[in-house]
Amino acid sequence: MTALSTWLRESPSLWAFPFVLILHTVGLAFLVGANVALDARVLGLAADVPPTTLRRYDVIMWAGFWVNALSGVLLLIAYPTKALTNPLFYGKLLLIALGLVLAQALRRQLRDAGPMSPLARRMAIASLVIWAAGITAGRLLAYTYSRLTVDLVG
Amino acid sequence: MTLDSVLQAIEPVLRTTALGAWVRHSQWAWPILESLHFIGMSLLIGTIGLFDLRLLGFARGIPYGALHRLIPLGIAGYTLNIATGFCFLSGTPDQYLFNAAFRFKMTFMLVAGLNVVFFYTRVFRRLEALPPDSAPPFGARVAGAVSLAMWIGVMSAGRLLTFFRPPYA
Repeated sequence: MTALSTWLRESPSLWAFPFVLILHTVGLAFLVGANVALDARVLGLAADVPPTTLRRYDVIMWAGFWVNALSGVLLLIAYPTKALTNPLFYGKLLLIALGLVLAQALRRQLRDAGPMSPLARRMAIASLVIWAAGITAGRLLAYTYSRLTVDLVG
Repeated sequence: MTLDSVLQAIEPVLRTTALGAWVRHSQWAWPILESLHFIGMSLLIGTIGLFDLRLLGFARGIPYGALHRLIPLGIAGYTLNIATGFCFLSGTPDQYLFNAAFRFKMTFMLVAGLNVVFFYTRVFRRLEALPPDSAPPFGARVAGAVSLAMWIGVMSAGRLLTFFRPPYA
């Protein structure tokens, strides 16, 4: 684990830390993107798309999620102290959990006939807000950490 | 006149704008702009990226024309990212103009743009007439594959920017 951590952090190879960052970014785009598309449809955009057919993209959303769970663990292994000492990191994890629970609940509300329920619309708005907040929390991790590594405290 | 000499001339112009100074000196400008840039990226991939997958034969059954009505949201994301991207560029222009990853990113965006022209002039009109369950025609697959590859390339090159920064002047 320590060897992996050191390699991820110190290897000059673009296949070490930079590649993990790329995975985490592309995974984010598909995870959040698939949710944005469904939320937008629930809120009335692309009204000719039967809402339940958008669930064919659920596999893309989950692929994005698992790529990010894995790449996120690797980023954590590379800089464990940096994330674990930042309260914002736990806020980000909480937002992701909320976003996923809401994504599941909203998908159960989908009906192809008739207008969307007010509950489904509120869930779609909440989903957009939560993913935007999750992204913001994630970006701010690069600016709000107090300790990069244990050794460098001071 | 070389590309570098043109960029050398542009660099101080961008850097000395009020926008550039604000981005450089404000404590929260950069993190907030970055968050917006990632939100814009998600809007773009969630609409254009999903449509590209549809062009490749994924999620067959969703009518092309109906799914295409999500695209304005992607254009909104693209516009947000052009705006926030221009803020980054104005803040520290030398870090981008003389950066190999940035040049790759701009090249990928250019190819994606040409692909948009190809798609709307040669593919889209015939696509709308097709039944939603039919296999996408060859041109649609090409447009979808090029678009998806270019936007993944744009995201990847964007992430590599920090690893190809020229030394600060």
